[in-house]
Amino acid sequence: MREIGIEQLADIARGAGILGTGGGGDPYVGMLLAREAVRRHGPVTVVDIDEVPADATVVPISSMGAPTVLLEKLPSGREEINALRALEAVLGRRATHLVPIEIGGVNSMIPLAAAAHAGLPIVDGDAMGRAFPEAQMVLPGLIGVANSPMALADDKGNTIVVQAVDNTEAERIARAVCVERGCQISCADTVLRGDQLRDGLVPATLTLAENLGRAVREARAEHRDPVAAARELLGGVHLSVGKVVDVERRTEGGFARGRARLEGAGTVLELDFQNEHLLARRDGRVVATTPDLICVLDTETGEPVTTESLRYGLRVTVLAAPCDPRWSTPAGLALTGPRYFGYDLDHHPLTD
Amino acid sequence: MTGARTIGVDVGPTNTDGALLVDDAPAATVKVPSAADPVDSVRFAVAALLREAPRAPRVTHVAIGLRSAAHAVTRREGLTRVGVLRIGGPVSDAVPPLAHWPADLRTAVHAGSAMVEGGAGLTPADATALDGDAVARFAAGLAGRCDAFAVTGVFSPIDDTQEQQAAEIIRREVGADAFVGLSAGSGGLGLIERENSIVLDAALSRHTRVLADALTAALGALGLSSTTVLVARGDGTLTSLEYLRLHPSLALGSGPAGTLRGAGVLTGLTDAVVADVGARRIRVGLLAGGFPQESRPGLVIGGVPVSFPMPDLIRVPADDADAFEEAVDRMQPGAARLPLVVVGGGSAALAATRAPAAHVLLPEHGLVAGAFGAALSPVGGAHERLMRAGDAAGTHAVDEVREGARRSAVRAGADPRRIVVLPVERVPVPYLPGPAFSLRARAVGPPSPL
Repeated sequence: MREIGIEQLADIARGAGILGTGGGGDPYVGMLLAREAVRRHGPVTVVDIDEVPADATVVPISSMGAPTVLLEKLPSGREEINALRALEAVLGRRATHLVPIEIGGVNSMIPLAAAAHAGLPIVDGDAMGRAFPEAQMVLPGLIGVANSPMALADDKGNTIVVQAVDNTEAERIARAVCVERGCQISCADTVLRGDQLRDGLVPATLTLAENLGRAVREARAEHRDPVAAARELLGGVHLSVGKVVDVERRTEGGFARGRARLEGAGTVLELDFQNEHLLARRDGRVVATTPDLICVLDTETGEPVTTESLRYGLRVTVLAAPCDPRWSTPAGLALTGPRYFGYDLDHHPLTD
Repeated sequence: MTGARTIGVDVGPTNTDGALLVDDAPAATVKVPSAADPVDSVRFAVAALLREAPRAPRVTHVAIGLRSAAHAVTRREGLTRVGVLRIGGPVSDAVPPLAHWPADLRTAVHAGSAMVEGGAGLTPADATALDGDAVARFAAGLAGRCDAFAVTGVFSPIDDTQEQQAAEIIRREVGADAFVGLSAGSGGLGLIERENSIVLDAALSRHTRVLADALTAALGALGLSSTTVLVARGDGTLTSLEYLRLHPSLALGSGPAGTLRGAGVLTGLTDAVVADVGARRIRVGLLAGGFPQESRPGLVIGGVPVSFPMPDLIRVPADDADAFEEAVDRMQPGAARLPLVVVGGGSAALAATRAPAAHVLLPEHGLVAGAFGAALSPVGGAHERLMRAGDAAGTHAVDEVREGARRSAVRAGADPRRIVVLPVERVPVPYLPGPAFSLRARAVGPPSPL
């Protein structure tokens, strides 16, 4: 057991940005929210998966919608609590712990703010080990944990609890509610019992995010290579270091998709993205695919580079880190592999 | 030939440059040491120019690049204390206004703040009604103690009606002379940055009023009382003094933007990498389509994240050749290499060290590029909004944003008959259904004749 105070939040946010693989929303605004919540209510208690009692009720808290909207309409923290209370009313019991549904991007911070508001401990782990764009892309889904009942709360105090026949249906209903409520809702769903955490969560990812963020910051302060520091912690493969020479963006099937071209050290790396980085090709050959983490870092500062901020001239290093092994099973790949995102190719295991 | 005369002045940290142009051709240039007061610097430079070319007809306009607004913020000098109103009560109180400002700047600027119910939404159905009584109570509570207000409404870049309503209420409570800055005109979506920007804007209101009065008086004393006075803006265009009084932060980035523009007008290039070489530092920027490339998200002024249109600059020490080479390369917008234009006091020495193969231009009058940039820039305006593809309104959005930019240029002092609207930028907004785009248009035109 330990505590997260204001000092740790900036490091966690930076690390969560790296684990967001280009998407997940800028954690900065989430950090402001968490900082303010911790300032008002005190530090958040963090517990390891092993410390959670078997009969605990662990509730993932997240924000769904467009980060652009979140930047405008900052959640007050009441939305998350409203969603949590609506869920508890249906469950007939109180949550004992909160947990992030995804460690990548802004959703790493939202549950920290909610935990401070609710006075509940947060579990050190998450249900993705990175950022994914859809609600059914969570490990609990692979062990038969339903994301329903799924409680959704808007900024006006309205709540709705979805009881769907399967996880993908719940995602579709929640998405429709989200768009109707101004493209930003807070969610409490995918309830886990304490004895399901080992199978349902990627462990210790809050710690990983914090360590990543700190390693980058310290390396920079000590004039060491911040990207090397990040890579050491990610256990990743170095795909490319170079300069962005082309970025093309297009709209395809209702999604904003894009491709960036990087040149460096005699090789060309092409990155495909749609919210997150999905695919990397080096000299025409696929070298990394979703669900592995394709992380783009500013070569000089080690700061994460989001898909929106990719532009000509940026000096970046591309790392690929293995996803949680449960994502590379057939069931995991059906949810998050390249074919789900419309590519006619199989998951490419990472090799040096 | 009409014999139209214009004067450009660039008040730098060490020297103030001046250029007098007749029919856009240089007639005289001067470089004088900068005084402590920027208005004195302008006065000395203009007086020197008029001595150089005394026998000439009326000067039509004087355009000035300044650094005083930026200095006021970074040095916390001459700032007005501001009443900060945020509209969006129930949703947006998680991070109060000015929450993470440096303490000294916050003390210099913050008169009081309130968060009241209201706010627009992505669509009209998502809006919440404005609590006008709460606005009135807030304003009344500060009446007599504060004459500058900054109003930020949630989603005001999409619908600014409530900001306008709040401004009316504030003026009713504290008097019609109060400065009331509205965030809708100071950046796109992103509440915190937009709010920070409009608070700094309001904090600069007195500084700007004093500056504008003093400039008018100083130029009048030089016989230029019927001359239009314009100030360079951070986006590379100009604004009238009257419009600047309403939007003081337009002058942030004024000097560097004028210098980038000057590098363009002196070489005839609309696209180039520009190095402004000072005694200690080199600033490298990019001229794209004739205007400075604007800074990316993440811009911070005086320790505060903001969303002003200011030139994207990389600053390197004047004696670090490697850092300079890398900065120039970083600024290149694409694989095709743009020429490098070198201007500023140390430009000749720097250009001499470059490999002969590199395409480097060292324009005549490059030592006073900022003055040329100011003299030869158009008056500008900009307008921004969000568009979701598939919206019924989507098809009209492009026309609307163009018209908004045109109107904004007219308000800033452009000749309504000669305005050109530049191509609309479309930036995709991730994770929004539609998909959605942020649209931004800019309009430019010559200064309106008096």
